[in-house]
Amino acid sequence: MNENRRQILEMLASGKITTDEAERLIAALEPEQVATAGVFTGNIAGSNHWSGDDKDTPVRTHAKYLRVLVESTEKNGPTTVNVRVPMQLLRAGVRLASLIPAQAHDQLDATLSKHGVPLTLSQIKPENLEELIDHLDDLSVDVDAKEEKAKVRVFCE
Amino acid sequence: MTPNIAVLEIESPHFHMPRLWLPLFLLWIPLLLLSPLILFVILAACIAGCINFWRAIATFWGILCALRGLNIRVTTHDSKVMVRIL
Repeated sequence: MNENRRQILEMLASGKITTDEAERLIAALEPEQVATAGVFTGNIAGSNHWSGDDKDTPVRTHAKYLRVLVESTEKNGPTTVNVRVPMQLLRAGVRLASLIPAQAHDQLDATLSKHGVPLTLSQIKPENLEELIDHLDDLSVDVDAKEEKAKVRVFCE
Repeated sequence: MTPNIAVLEIESPHFHMPRLWLPLFLLWIPLLLLSPLILFVILAACIAGCINFWRAIATFWGILCALRGLNIRVTTHDSKVMVRIL
């Protein structure tokens, strides 16, 4: 049960919202939960539980997993790939970059530029990568290649 | 929190492995016994690589704890691989 739905049920149990309002809230969350993190604005009469000081401030729940779904039909038969990676793993993985010694940065930069990758590792900070991962919540990629009979979906949930 | 159970399943035309439920929490016991040796090796590697030892430990611990929820399934017409970390 995700966090949004749990909060709705807690509000219903404590009497802050009616059953009709709870039902509308849950229905509003349903189509958003597949592709993106939930965003809810606290505009329910009598309820200020969502947004704290400002009722109209959207409360954003961060996605927990990065999903990659691949379906393809090859000559021998269908192939499916279903990968779910926790976002925490991505965050922990980018911290590996901070372990690279400073002396190695110059060598890596030179090697990358030699291979045509214009990337300067010393300018990439872990906080920049953290911000990038935080914005992955909005990522949604749908590829439907009819000729190759392949579908690719990448999204966060 | 560290992962507790790993579920593995591999099927291919020439090899079939039943679904294995591996209790990863039982690995803590031998790891604790070997921890002085493991930490010494990591310390030596960090000194040789000019890497901060505590940052390295924290990073790898973070990766280990973040493995929970990893789910990989690959299915083809004649084979199947599934890895789940719980």
